[in-house]
Amino acid sequence: MSDLAIRWFAPLELRILSGMSFLSCALLSVVLLFDYFRGDYDSMAIHGVGMMALMVMILTGIDFTEEGRTRRRDMGLTASGITLACGVIGLAIRGAEYLLVDLWAGLVLLIPGLSGLYLLSTPLVSRWVESTIERAEAEDGLVRNRQLLPKWQAALKHVVLLHVVAVVMIPVLWIIDVAISPGDALQGGAMFSSPTGEHFSNILGGDNFWVWARNSVIVSIGTTLLGLCLAIPAGYAFSRYRFKGRGAMMFTFLLVQMFPGIIILVPYFMVMKSLGLLNTAIGLILAYSVTALPLCVWMLKGFFDTVPKELEEAALLDGCSQFGVFYRIILPLSLPAVAVTGLFSFLVAWNEFLLALTFNTSDDMFTLPVGLASYISATDSAWGDFAAMSLLVAIPVVLLFIVFQKFLIEGLTAGSVKG
Amino acid sequence: MRRGISLIAVMPLIVALLAMPVVQATAVSKVEASGESSSYRNVNLTWELASPAEDGDGFHIIFSESSFSHTGNATIHSTVFTASTDGMAQPAVGEWYDDCQSSSGDDDWAMVFRSENGSAVVPPGTVAIRCDLTGMPVGAEVFLAILPFDSHWISGDLSEVVGATSTAADELPPSADTRPVWFAIGSIALSLVVLLAVLGWKERSAQGRSAMLYVAPALMALALLTFYPVGYGIVLSFTDANQSALGEQSFNGLDNYVEVFTSAGFLRVLGFTLLWTVVNVFAHVGIGLALAMALQGRVKGKVAYRTILLLPWAIPSYITVLIWRGIFQYDGLFNGLLGTQIDILGLPVPAAAAVIVVNIWLGFPFMMMTISGALQTIPGDIYEAAEVDGVSPISQFRHLTLPMLKPTIVPVALLGFIWTFNMFNVIYLMTDGGPNLWFGEPGSTDILITYVYDVAFRRGMYGLAAAWSVVIFLILLWFSATYMKKTNATEAVV
Repeated sequence: MSDLAIRWFAPLELRILSGMSFLSCALLSVVLLFDYFRGDYDSMAIHGVGMMALMVMILTGIDFTEEGRTRRRDMGLTASGITLACGVIGLAIRGAEYLLVDLWAGLVLLIPGLSGLYLLSTPLVSRWVESTIERAEAEDGLVRNRQLLPKWQAALKHVVLLHVVAVVMIPVLWIIDVAISPGDALQGGAMFSSPTGEHFSNILGGDNFWVWARNSVIVSIGTTLLGLCLAIPAGYAFSRYRFKGRGAMMFTFLLVQMFPGIIILVPYFMVMKSLGLLNTAIGLILAYSVTALPLCVWMLKGFFDTVPKELEEAALLDGCSQFGVFYRIILPLSLPAVAVTGLFSFLVAWNEFLLALTFNTSDDMFTLPVGLASYISATDSAWGDFAAMSLLVAIPVVLLFIVFQKFLIEGLTAGSVKG
Repeated sequence: MRRGISLIAVMPLIVALLAMPVVQATAVSKVEASGESSSYRNVNLTWELASPAEDGDGFHIIFSESSFSHTGNATIHSTVFTASTDGMAQPAVGEWYDDCQSSSGDDDWAMVFRSENGSAVVPPGTVAIRCDLTGMPVGAEVFLAILPFDSHWISGDLSEVVGATSTAADELPPSADTRPVWFAIGSIALSLVVLLAVLGWKERSAQGRSAMLYVAPALMALALLTFYPVGYGIVLSFTDANQSALGEQSFNGLDNYVEVFTSAGFLRVLGFTLLWTVVNVFAHVGIGLALAMALQGRVKGKVAYRTILLLPWAIPSYITVLIWRGIFQYDGLFNGLLGTQIDILGLPVPAAAAVIVVNIWLGFPFMMMTISGALQTIPGDIYEAAEVDGVSPISQFRHLTLPMLKPTIVPVALLGFIWTFNMFNVIYLMTDGGPNLWFGEPGSTDILITYVYDVAFRRGMYGLAAAWSVVIFLILLWFSATYMKKTNATEAVV
């Protein structure tokens, strides 16, 4: 029994170190890429050495065999020292001209370096390495490992998540900065210094924004209404009735969702042109309501499925007509679901770019996406106004999306995955 | 292949560019442009040389829809060489998409000669050249510049950029007849009504009959606005429909398909499309899976994390793509943060990397959320059992988590493949297919659908674009069928 505890026990420190070094290695590959971009081959060499040392540290933490523990510990300590040194030298090379990214690169090396030196020299690890560990201590250690492991895993998770959050937030923060900075400077310098509302007043004071917003609102509301009128009856029939061709029809709706838009684009354009529907709201409304239709039908079918059938049967017995059942009972009960489906088609229409770009080429018929893109593509300047306008357009959409995310995602995955 | 420069024509050009000795090429002294040219979508460009052209001189005519200070985001429209013109053909006006004339003084203009591969050649001693360039963007200002051969290809600074507006806009020729369209729409609607009536009549129950009534509007919309255009597109792909002859197209057999498969850029654009799609889908699934695992279980601040990580999905993609374009500008945030000076969107490989990175950024939240949803349905006790049996976390992931996730990942990855394959916004708004845009050919970052857009709406060749669309559709269809067969995903999808 005593042997077993001793044999099973390995200090958690080793695994922590291994995980930490692995993470640092992954981050360091990005650092190396950046060094390459900057043509800074000295830093690249230093960081390369640091990366190799980190790989040695990963290995130190995952090999628990008894032979050669001392040697591995010493190697680990040396590697930690090298990592630390590389971090310090890397920062020193940059000297006083360091940027934020240099600081980050330094931390990627310094943190595992310091932790390695500390973790590998704790008394517990030393005794384990020298195999002088007591039975009681090993048993306590096993319990301790079990308690501490989740905490360390959580810490590493947070490091990963925070990096992803940074990558997600950088463009968002940057665009806010550009929107409230004077002029059209892109790099900005110090973030959020000297805020100004000039771009917002440019946009809100000008005509373009209001014309495009009006077009977008007309198209989106039209799409929502038409789409719902088409989708609600179909979703209801698929949910409640069994009839000939039901399977084939449902499969058709699923298949259409997989159609690449491009195969329709050119003939769509020509048909719309022939019918004189280019540069009108109706052309876009027709196109969008059909684009969103299959998913709306599937979403609504899923929602109608959850309304108990007994309610309808009772109403039918009470002398309500087929249509009355649908109109008086099912529709009021599934109003929230209908609202979510409506929101979905609204967002599809609000965010669509390709068809709007192709169909509506005169700038008083632009929708917001095309108008916004025209701000940039014409001159590659006017970034300040662009930034202000994109905030005005994006914020309501993002809020809607986040508030209703649960329902939207549920409906969307129900339509696209489960079928 | 009368239009566009074939691969054979381009290769010697590229070789010539690379092997060109550093000679002092003749400088351009004066460039003028006007949009008031004779015909449709045309711009006139005239330039004078500081000294008479010598053997070996040459000029690229480049244009862009935005004002530009270097060649990174410009398209090469055509190229003029200086060489001995002995034995070369001298075609008449209107035979080439760049009708050029040269003058060796005293305003005596002569048509340029054409080498065997179709390049324009002017004799040594030429002092001025003027070209009538077709295929310009409609109704918008275009910017043109002349780039002598010895200038640096990518970052060469331009001495003079001139603007011009092409005069002719896209207009429907008066002869266009809408009757065939209405006839097609009417007959489709009628046959659908008949089909539903027959189905409803065969139906015994009243329920079934009313069901037909309920699904009719949606089916009608689908037939008229999806299936009819698809069918029309297939017909269109066998015709020579183009911008100036809309409604008067005639069938030209397989000509469009021949042109698609023999066009210079076909393999290149297909290759980049595949690279783009595969890298993106793997990254989306990989990052989505990793983040879903990281957010699984009890994590502090889970709601905040999820909300922030959803942002790339929640913000309209055209906005984020344009924001990223700003970040990757020469004077943008990326260069600012790194202290570098790279013209990312003006160089082929960095531009390709940039568009892929942006699309990865845009697409991972969808995968994260779907995989997250699937993870929640895995019962926790199997992990407890595995833990008791001493299964390591890595083996748990490989032998428990992955097999349980497979029914979700397999169809979602296919969906991601189709979406990424058709992701128009990112490429169009970031680089518009550039850099290295040659007129009539895909640029370095063009994928199939952005290129089809160019063919259809920049060059105005609808029949050819329809043929490209059909080819794309067949590729996707073939891929989806193979994928489903290989992964047995059908039962998960339907």
